[in-house]
Amino acid sequence: MSQFLQYLVNGLTIGAFLSLTALGYTMIYGIIRLINFAHGDIFMVGAFAGYTVLVAAAAAHVPVALIVMAALVAGMLFTGLLGVVVERVAYQPLLSAPRLAILISALGASLALEESARLIFGAGFSSYPHLLPTAGFGVAGVRLTYAQVGMFVMAVLLMVGLYLFVHRTMLGTAMRALAMDRDAARLMGINVERIILLTFFLGSVLAGAAGVMQGLYYTQINFIMGFLIGLRAFTAAVLGGIGNIPGAMVAGLLIGLLQSFAAAYVSARWTDALVFCVLILVLVVKPTGLFGERIVERV
Amino acid sequence: MAFLDVRDLHTFYRDTEALKGASLDVEEGEIVALLGSNGAGKTTTLRTISGLQRARSGAVIFDGSDLTRARPHEIVSAGLVHVPEGRRIFSGLTVDENLSLGAYLSRGDRKRMSEDRDAVYALFPRLVERRRQVAGTLSGGEQQMLAIGRALMSRPRLLALDEPSMGLAPAVVRAVGQVIQRIRAAGTTILMVEQNVRQALRLADRAFVLETGRVVLSGPAGELAADPRVQAAYLGGSASVDEPPDGTVP
Amino acid sequence: MPRVLGLVSERRAAAGWAVTLAVALAAPLVMGSYQLSIATSVLTFAMLGLGLNIVVGYAGLLDLGYAAFFAIGAYTSSLLSLEAGLGFWQTLPFAVVATAIGGCIIGYPTLRLRSDYLAIVTLGFGEIVRIIATNLTITGGPNGLYGIPAPGIAGVSITSIPGLYYLGLAFTVAALLLSWVLSRSWLGYAWRSLREDETAAEAVGVPTVRVKLLAYVMGAIVGGVAGPFFAARFGAVDPTSFTFLVSVQILLVVIVGGMGSLPGVLLGALVIIALPEALRAVADFRLLIFALALIALMVFRPQGLWPAPRPRGAPRGRPVPAAPLEAAAPATRGQPAAGEDLLTVAGVSRRFGGVRAVDDVSFTVRTGEIVSIIGPNGAGKTTLFNCITGVTKPDAGRVVLHGGRHGRRVLHRRAPHRVVAAGLARTFQGIRLFDGLSAADNVLVGRYCRRRRDGWRTSRGLTGGLVGVSGATHAEVRRWLGFVGLGDRGDSLARELSYGERRRLEIARALASEPFAVLLDEPAAGTNPTEKNELMGLIRQVRDSGVSVVLIEHDMDLVMSVSDRVIVMDQGQMIAEGTPEQVRGNQRVIDAYLGGEEETAAETVEEVLGWRS
Repeated sequence: MSQFLQYLVNGLTIGAFLSLTALGYTMIYGIIRLINFAHGDIFMVGAFAGYTVLVAAAAAHVPVALIVMAALVAGMLFTGLLGVVVERVAYQPLLSAPRLAILISALGASLALEESARLIFGAGFSSYPHLLPTAGFGVAGVRLTYAQVGMFVMAVLLMVGLYLFVHRTMLGTAMRALAMDRDAARLMGINVERIILLTFFLGSVLAGAAGVMQGLYYTQINFIMGFLIGLRAFTAAVLGGIGNIPGAMVAGLLIGLLQSFAAAYVSARWTDALVFCVLILVLVVKPTGLFGERIVERV
Repeated sequence: MAFLDVRDLHTFYRDTEALKGASLDVEEGEIVALLGSNGAGKTTTLRTISGLQRARSGAVIFDGSDLTRARPHEIVSAGLVHVPEGRRIFSGLTVDENLSLGAYLSRGDRKRMSEDRDAVYALFPRLVERRRQVAGTLSGGEQQMLAIGRALMSRPRLLALDEPSMGLAPAVVRAVGQVIQRIRAAGTTILMVEQNVRQALRLADRAFVLETGRVVLSGPAGELAADPRVQAAYLGGSASVDEPPDGTVP
Repeated sequence: MPRVLGLVSERRAAAGWAVTLAVALAAPLVMGSYQLSIATSVLTFAMLGLGLNIVVGYAGLLDLGYAAFFAIGAYTSSLLSLEAGLGFWQTLPFAVVATAIGGCIIGYPTLRLRSDYLAIVTLGFGEIVRIIATNLTITGGPNGLYGIPAPGIAGVSITSIPGLYYLGLAFTVAALLLSWVLSRSWLGYAWRSLREDETAAEAVGVPTVRVKLLAYVMGAIVGGVAGPFFAARFGAVDPTSFTFLVSVQILLVVIVGGMGSLPGVLLGALVIIALPEALRAVADFRLLIFALALIALMVFRPQGLWPAPRPRGAPRGRPVPAAPLEAAAPATRGQPAAGEDLLTVAGVSRRFGGVRAVDDVSFTVRTGEIVSIIGPNGAGKTTLFNCITGVTKPDAGRVVLHGGRHGRRVLHRRAPHRVVAAGLARTFQGIRLFDGLSAADNVLVGRYCRRRRDGWRTSRGLTGGLVGVSGATHAEVRRWLGFVGLGDRGDSLARELSYGERRRLEIARALASEPFAVLLDEPAAGTNPTEKNELMGLIRQVRDSGVSVVLIEHDMDLVMSVSDRVIVMDQGQMIAEGTPEQVRGNQRVIDAYLGGEEETAAETVEEVLGWRS
C-alpha cells in the first residue's frame, strides 16, 4: 500500500511538470492551430537556463532558497523571451500560409534549439548541483521531501495564476476570444498579433519553469530531453481537450500517474508505448479529449 | 468631404476580383443602406472598410483620415466598428464577457466600461437576465442584440452592420430596425448591408445598390424604393422591366 | 518559377528523365565508394520520399511516423530471412503485405481525424513501432538483427557497393513508375480532389474514407520495399534507424522538394541526405545550419524547391461546342417517367445548438421539374440541401430517391458519395471547386462514381490501360465541358476561371455523374445580368436533357421565370409551396421574405426587446 502511495506521489510530481508544459501546447494550439514542436525544446532550454544560473551562483555564498528562486525566475524569463523570438521569426510570417509550412517551420525551430543547446552544453548529461535539501517527512509510509512538496505547490500556483489570468483579465478574455474567432476578435480592436505573442510568452514561461523544476528534481539534463517530455505533454494537452486549460492540468497529472505506475507495475521500457496507445485510443474514441475542446472549428 | 468616403475599391480573394471599383459615401448622422444580391460584394465592401480584407487599390477615408492601409484594431480605435455577418459572437464566452471585449481598447477605464454596459443593458433588457449565460445558448435574435451591443461598447462613431436581420423572425426584424433608429438618434452614423430590402429602404436615408463588385445605382431611399429596376430585382414587383429573354447559352 | 517549369512540354520532361537516368547509371564510373554509398542512401530516402509523397503530396494527409513502415518492412524481411531462411526476393512480398497491414492499422482509426491530430497519431504510431522493436527479443532488442544475407540475382549475391547502388536505383525507378502510374489513375484524381477539398470530394462522389485508406496502404507498400533493401544493404537493422528524426527527414524530403512533385522528391532526397554530408566542413554546425535553412525555406518558399507542375487538362481532344444533350440518356437507367415522384423529403429536421435550422420540412420533386426553394438568408435552405445530400445527418425525417436499379433508395443515412451514386448531385453556395485542378480534371472527378460505366479502354495504350482513365471518360468530360460552354477552357485551372465560368464548371462537375436530379445552391449569386440569362438558359437545358433541378435562389427574376414550383422557407420551416404566381401572392411569403408591411406577428417590438419589462 505504501509502495502504491509512493508511486502516486512520484506520478503527481512528474505530472505537475507535464501539466505546466502541456498548458503551452494547449494555449498555442488553441490560438493558432499549431502543434508547436519547439515547445518541448523550450522546456529543455529552461532547464539549461536554470542550470547556468545555478552553476554560476553555487560558487557565491548566497542562501540556497534565493539561488533556486533566481534560477527559476531566470529560466522563466529567458524561455518567455525565447518563445516570443521563435514566434516572430519562424511562425508569424507563416500564419496565413498553408498549415504544413508552419508545422515544418516548427520542426526546424525544434531542431535549431536542440542543436544550439548541444553546441553550447555538449551532447552528454549536465548535472544540476545538489542544492535541494533532502529533508522531508513521512505520511502513511510515504516519504516526501519539502522540496518535492514545494515544487508541486509552485507548479499548482503557476497553473492557478494562469487560469485566473486567462479567465479574469481582459487580456486573458481576448486570448480566449481569439481562439474562438480570429476575425471577430480583430473587430473588437484586439491586436491579434500581439495577443499571439503574449500567448507564446506565457506558454514558454510555464515550460521554462517546468524545465528548471525538472532539473532540480532529477538533476540530470541533456539537449534532447525536450522531445519525450514534449510528446507526453502534448498527449496531455490532447487528452485534456485542446484549448481547455483545466483539462490540460488534470490530464498532465493523469499522464504522470500513468507513467509512474506503468514504470512500477509493467516496465519502464513500455511506458511511452502505453502513453501513445492512450493518446491514440482517446483520439479515436473521443477526439475532443476527456474534458472537451474549447476551440471552434469553422467549416 | 463625406464622413466616410470609400473610393474605387478593388479587392481580391486570391485570384478572384470581388470588388471592381466600389465607391460610396456616408454623411455624419445618416443611415445608409448597401443593397444587392448575394455575391454582389456587399460583405466584401464592409470587410475592406474595416480592414479584415486588404484592398489592392482605392481608398477608405474616415473623418478625414486615410484608413486604407490601417489594421483592424486601428480602425476600431478610429471609431469605425463593423458588426459582421452571422453575428460572430464569441459563443464560448458569457454575455458579460462578450460585452467587455467590445470595450477592449478602453479596458483601463472601468468606470466607462460599467456605464456603457449599463447603457447596453438598458437598450437590450432581454440580455440582462442572460448576462452570466454562455452566448452560444442565446436565441438568434438575442445573439444579434449582443453583437450590436458589443459593438456599441467601444462608443463607435460609425457602425457598419452586415445583415442584421438575417435569419430572424419578422417581429425581431422590426425590433432590430427600431434599435438601429435609436442608435442613430443617439448620434451614431450607420452603414448597413441588408438583404431585407424593404426594411432597409424604410430605415435608410440613402442607399447604394451593388452588382458584381460595382455600385450600379444610388440615391435617396425613397427614390430607390420607387425605382422600377429595384422593384423588379429585389422587391418582388412584377418583372415589367428587363424581362429575361428566353435564354440559351450562346 | 513554377509557372515556367510547368510549361515545360512532356517531351522535354521525358528527355530530362532520360538524362537523369543516364547520369545515375554512369555515376559509379566516376564516384568513389564513399560517394557511392552516400548516393545509395540518397536513393533509399528517395524511395521513402516517393512512398510518403503518395500520402502527403497526393492525398494531402500528414504523416509524422512514416519510419514505422520503413521499420516494418526491414524487420519483416530480416526476420524471414534469418528465421525462415527465405531469400531476399522471397521476403519482399511478405514485407509488402506486412506494411500494407500496418497502413490499414494506422489508417483506419485516423480516417475521421482532422489533420493535426492525424500528425500526432501517426507520430505516436511511429514511436510505438520503434519501442516494440527495441523491447522484443525476437527483434533483437536495442541491438537489432544482424547477419542478414545480401540479396542475390541468379545465384550471385550483391555485396559490392556499386551493385547495391544499382539495386537501389532499380527500386527507386520502380517507385517512380508506380508513383507516375498512380498519379494518372482514378485513384490519383480522387486523392488530389481530397487534398483540395475533402467535403467537396465526398459530395461529388469520391468515397473519401476508402480512398484515404488506400493512400496509406499504397504509401506504406513503398516503404515496405525500401525497408528490406536497407536491411539487406547493411546486413543489419536496429531501432535507431527508425526514430522520429528519420520520419521527419523523410517528410522533409517531400516538403523541401515540393509536395506531389516527382522530380521534387528526388531533389529533396539529394538536399536532405547529401547536403549535410557536404557540410562536413562546418562539421558540428551542420544540423543547426540545416534547421535554420529549413525555417528560411518555409518562410520564403513554402511550396518547396521544385513544386509540382501546374496540372493540365486531361482530355486532349478537340473542344466540343455547346450542344443540347440527347434527352433520353438518364431515363434509360430506370428514372421514373416524367411527372412521377422522383425525390421525396419527409419530415426532415435538424437543430444546431438552440437553433432549429430545419424544422419538419416535407416536399416532393417530380421527374422533369424545376423546383425552387426560396427564403431569407438563414432560413435553413442550405442546411436542408445538406440533409438531403448526406453532408449533414438530419435529426429526423426521411429522404427517398425513386427509380434506378433498386426501385427506390433511402438517402438520409447514406454518405454523400453514395447519394451521388444513387443519382442526386449538387453544387455549393460558395462554389467549392478543386481550385488547384484544371477545369477538365474537376469534371473528371465528378465522373468518379461512373468510372466503371466508361470501361477501361484507353487511347493512351498500356499505362492508361492498367489503372488509367479511359478514353470514354475523357469523351464524357469533353461533352460536359461543352454542355456548359467551357469546351475551350478545359486546360485552365479552376481558380483562373471567371466567376460565371466557375459557377458553370461546378454544374458540369455535378452533371458528369449523370444524376436524376441536381441540387443547385444559389447558382446566380454574384453573376451579372448577362451571365444570369445564360444561366437560366442552362438550367432549362439541364431539365430538357432529362435531369430534374432543385434550386436555392434569391434572384426573383430567375426563380419566377424558370421554376415549375416554388417552396418558401423561413426560420427552418416551409411556409408556402406552389406555382410562382401562387407564391408571389401569398401574404406570409411577402411578410417573411420581403419584409412585412403590416404588423402581423403576435409579438411586438417592445416585447421582443423587453423594453416594457
